[in-house]
Amino acid sequence: MRPVSPVRTIAGIFTLALAAASAAGAQHRPIIALRADALMMWVHSDTGVTHTSLRGPAFGGEGRVSVNDLVFGLGLLEGQLKPVGGVGGAPQRDVVQGTVFVGGRPVPWLEMTAGPVVRAYVTDSTTERWVFWQARARVDASIVVGKLASYLEVWRAFSSDVNLPTGAGRIQGGEAGVVFQPPQRPVWLRLSYRMDDALLGGPGGNETMEAITLSGGIVIP
Amino acid sequence: MPRTLAILAVVLTAGSQLAAQSAIDLLQQGVRAYQRLEYDAAVALLRESLSRRMAGVLADSQRARALSYLAATQLFQQQRDSAAAAFRELVRLDPRYRPDELIFPPQVTNLFDEVRRATKVLTVQVPPATELHPRLEWFTARLVTTSLQTVTATLARDDGTPVRTVYDGPVADSLLVKWDGLTTGGDLPEEGRYILRVTPRPETADGPRPLQVTLDITQVTPDTLSWPAPPTAPPLLPERTSATPALGSLGAAALAGGAVVALPALFGRNADATGARFAVAAAVSVAGIVGFFAHQPRPIEDNIRKNAPARADWQRRVEAVKAENAKRRGSARLVIRAGPVTVADRGAP
Repeated sequence: MRPVSPVRTIAGIFTLALAAASAAGAQHRPIIALRADALMMWVHSDTGVTHTSLRGPAFGGEGRVSVNDLVFGLGLLEGQLKPVGGVGGAPQRDVVQGTVFVGGRPVPWLEMTAGPVVRAYVTDSTTERWVFWQARARVDASIVVGKLASYLEVWRAFSSDVNLPTGAGRIQGGEAGVVFQPPQRPVWLRLSYRMDDALLGGPGGNETMEAITLSGGIVIP
Repeated sequence: MPRTLAILAVVLTAGSQLAAQSAIDLLQQGVRAYQRLEYDAAVALLRESLSRRMAGVLADSQRARALSYLAATQLFQQQRDSAAAAFRELVRLDPRYRPDELIFPPQVTNLFDEVRRATKVLTVQVPPATELHPRLEWFTARLVTTSLQTVTATLARDDGTPVRTVYDGPVADSLLVKWDGLTTGGDLPEEGRYILRVTPRPETADGPRPLQVTLDITQVTPDTLSWPAPPTAPPLLPERTSATPALGSLGAAALAGGAVVALPALFGRNADATGARFAVAAAVSVAGIVGFFAHQPRPIEDNIRKNAPARADWQRRVEAVKAENAKRRGSARLVIRAGPVTVADRGAP
């Protein structure tokens, strides 16, 4: 099993974000937003025969560049999952997920993006790799203007693939949370809960990923 | 004797025609008879012209003329007492009247002066309607006496409440008494009926009677300006936060918190979902409650400061309107309508 380094993850995100910023058009000044995540993750796997639950911390990050109402971003997530209770037959897994998205804000309170997601569950012997294209919609609602806001984001994959014999079924999920932004500061904190459910093909089963995330971000105008 | 008969004939002949003639015609005929030295006929014609029986009563000026000729005729007829009585009536009729010295000889005018001095008469002349600005203009009443007389002119409400002593002093011949339209306290009198009373002092049984005039006083107040409209938003910035965002905050947080709780049921299998998500839902709910109270209506100091000049400008305009309205109210005009001059009871207030 390969060790996971959060520092390496965040550095990779920053590099990608800077590359995206340089690629943005020069006519309009881009806004760069960087985010670092600390997660507690739960993965429930049900193959129809066996049912396992794993839990563990994860770290991730995201960088995005906004030009006018267009947005382009990259995200990366890595974590280590262990069986709940520390015993049982389920092996320890590493989880790695990369995301690329592009989209826009048709109205100030709605962001719509789409892009590929690659998720891999890695054990000492196997790697379960999911690849899917998903569309996301996110609604922001202010609680205290400029200070507190809530959001709700839902997504659904319109194409999915997994290197399991059963194949992949539909994948959908959602995320909701609250964002705190100190007054007159470009940084913010976020607490959220996300839930993602991927159906397996064939006889059934699914893999559900949950996470409670504490995020910090900064906006570079 | 033939002359007397002739006069009688004239009078008797005229008698039947007198009724058909006007008082003015009789006056003119009497004057012509006087000028022809036909004193009996003149007396008869002049008396008839002054008679109340006559149709077409003489005006005061014509009546004064008739009395002058009648007194002069009777004086030349050596009827001095009758002449004095006619002059006394003339003085009472018009204390300012004087027989023309170009027409009447000194013995006639001397008798008139003698009678005038002996006859104490007081009259008051007021204009029928007066409109004045108090303090700046005057209501006038002319007091006329035939001899030196001390009088007191007072203004009172018709219920007797004193308002102002307009004049208190001697009147030698005539005096124009002025009233500035204010009460003793310097205020405008209320609208209503007032009595201007002119009382000779001391009041004696054989002296002139007190006189009074009813004055109906109304105020004519100019229109006042309306208050300037208070500034509104816009252009004023809101000075208090609205209550609507408070409910919006609560709603937004409730939606997000509910979504956190419901996501497993909506998108996956609820049985395996972690209960830790309720902590996130609680945090979102707390944020909503904070937002609800943070958005309670409260003053926006920055906007209040920005609005201050506009409010101060409005206040200045209000003060200017106040001052202008006070000025206009102070410049109210009085309209005074006078009734007829009547004789008042002695000793009445």
